[in-house]
Amino acid sequence: MPDRLRLGLVGVGPVVERYHMRAVRGVPEVLPVAVVDLDERRAERFATCQDIPFYTTRLEELLGKIDLAIVALPNAAHAPVSCELLGKGIHVLCEKPMARNVPECLLMIEAARQGRTELCIGHNRRFRSNVTLARRLLGKGIIGEIRRIDAEEGSTSDWRRSPAYFDPKQAGGGALIDVGIHLIDLIRWCVGEFSEVEYTGNGTATAVESDAELRFRMANGAQGSLVVSRTRDLEQRIRLTGTEGYLEIGLWSDHLRVRNNKGKAFEQMPHLDAYVSRRPPQDASFVLQLSNLVNAIKGFEPVLVNGQEGMAAVEVVIRAYGQIAPPVVATPAVLSGGNQ
Amino acid sequence: MKSSSNLRVHPDFPDKQNHAPALAILRYEDHGNLGEMLSRLQTELPQLLPASLPPKVVIKPNLCDVVSWEAGVTTDPAWLPMLARKLRAIRPDVQIVVVESDAISAYKSFRSCDETYDRLGYREIARQHNIELVNLSRTESIEISLEGIPLPVQVSELFLEEFYFISIANLKVHAYERMTGILKNSLGLLSNCDLSPLHPYLSLLINCLHRLCPPNLCIIDGRIGLEGHGPILGEPVRMNSIIFSDDALSADVAACKLMMIPPKEVPHLRSVAKILGRGFPSISLPAGIQARAFDFNGPSHREILLKFSNRRFHRSTELLTNLWINRLARFKREPIKFGREVIPKLVRRLYAR
Repeated sequence: MPDRLRLGLVGVGPVVERYHMRAVRGVPEVLPVAVVDLDERRAERFATCQDIPFYTTRLEELLGKIDLAIVALPNAAHAPVSCELLGKGIHVLCEKPMARNVPECLLMIEAARQGRTELCIGHNRRFRSNVTLARRLLGKGIIGEIRRIDAEEGSTSDWRRSPAYFDPKQAGGGALIDVGIHLIDLIRWCVGEFSEVEYTGNGTATAVESDAELRFRMANGAQGSLVVSRTRDLEQRIRLTGTEGYLEIGLWSDHLRVRNNKGKAFEQMPHLDAYVSRRPPQDASFVLQLSNLVNAIKGFEPVLVNGQEGMAAVEVVIRAYGQIAPPVVATPAVLSGGNQ
Repeated sequence: MKSSSNLRVHPDFPDKQNHAPALAILRYEDHGNLGEMLSRLQTELPQLLPASLPPKVVIKPNLCDVVSWEAGVTTDPAWLPMLARKLRAIRPDVQIVVVESDAISAYKSFRSCDETYDRLGYREIARQHNIELVNLSRTESIEISLEGIPLPVQVSELFLEEFYFISIANLKVHAYERMTGILKNSLGLLSNCDLSPLHPYLSLLINCLHRLCPPNLCIIDGRIGLEGHGPILGEPVRMNSIIFSDDALSADVAACKLMMIPPKEVPHLRSVAKILGRGFPSISLPAGIQARAFDFNGPSHREILLKFSNRRFHRSTELLTNLWINRLARFKREPIKFGREVIPKLVRRLYAR
């Protein structure tokens, strides 16, 4: 194995520019060598700005040139592009959601198995310091048995999105599959599996939903609600209430609020605000996510958010939508302008 | 053992929680038997010792340096077996934990808490009496923000659990704070090694720590006090008295009384009393216990105030500069988004005026 893994960026939209590229610069084991995007001007501009030697509009030109790819495309392209890369022995970090439906996820998992490659899904929030701390505290039973979960994320001031986001066929859904899937993944990771879900949203056959609400029951009996919106400013947090206290995880900040009714620290203080350092890089989760994949490729540790984990989150969304997904035909031609 | 019955209760302290602090100042001359002193305390002021205990008891001695307790600097390890016996009589399966943390001194020398445990005899005593020694700097900790303090502090996750807390301090003068007792002893609960950046905010910090982990039983071991250049380099002085209380402020005010230091000259006492909404309790020393005016070789109160106000000023200008640099960087990176966020805020502020 080479000292530095050669990295290809498949789709160079805002999420790659803002987050993934910075993470790539923070992981010395990775060397960006190629850019693919259907928009040739964008690919060229990105490659020039980032000093990447090769750019193209054709996925097949990457083969043999890279060891690892970051796939950040419209949701419809996640499965076909990832399958092609994984099957050819290229490890993949695929943006969330893993795919539009469960059959597509299964195809990706199978492709990774056949290609003996690592597949990592971009649920980067698992790597955030407040989330890892929350999980550690939950593991210690700091709030007792979890009884209630309330999650909210939504904002009106969102960044520029590609049209693919708003096309039901390409996106596979709206706010729930785009934003809500992060919350679903975190709730699964911290609490366990969803057992019942009940969805309400304002989507139609021709338009994805901008607002969605999920009422659910977890396998451990806890009940909860999840609200996501692209039109309203909501409290960006997950609040877990247990038999002995509560824990609030900030979604847009590294904030964690905790209370344990019996704890010594809470005799006089209503709660503690765990402060996580805001020194740059402010959000190290993308760096840690990429490092995790690199370590997995080298055999040092397993991928934290593998295909099974990514699929489990998608499955909750699909159950919520009550959709029966159409079978997928893997066509690299759907590789269109970088999303996110 | 010679000890006189010097137990006093002050039921009339104005307290927000309608709890009348109990305080006892005992004369003590026999260094060999702290246990009998505790038994006497239990008989004469039973409310100071608990009737029942949670599964865990945490004891915080003052181990600020590797110096024997006879020098008046650190806590005598002989307290541990005595307290353990008493606590196990209340709850036989109680888990007793002694806590302290690593520290970096004002001279930037590192003091390992584990080494202090070893060299002051705590390790051996803990082994003999099934007591757990914990170095808080090596436990899992969380960084928390405290109101009014611009730097985060680290506290052990232990404080999220339920426990009965005993704080044992010494009768000492302190260069910055004039005196150190139970309230100042709580600084050792922080996992941070280097507390010097926090010194300008000491009073606030002590206040917050008192709220974070209020002691259930306070013991100020004044058998040997420390005067001169405290809290480490001073001269030991025999005082033959021990203060017990269930209230940190009362215990510290009693210590001030013994050292003849006006409590209002101690910044953190003033601050805690103000925030608790109480004045300083009026304490008269029992017969047989003599106060002594402790020498104080530290800088004057005025010098300290000036030094720390300078450091606070530098810190606040540093924060302000960082804030504006960050804003400028954001403006350069995303001018339109920045403008969209900032202009409505500015308009709202102007409108509010």
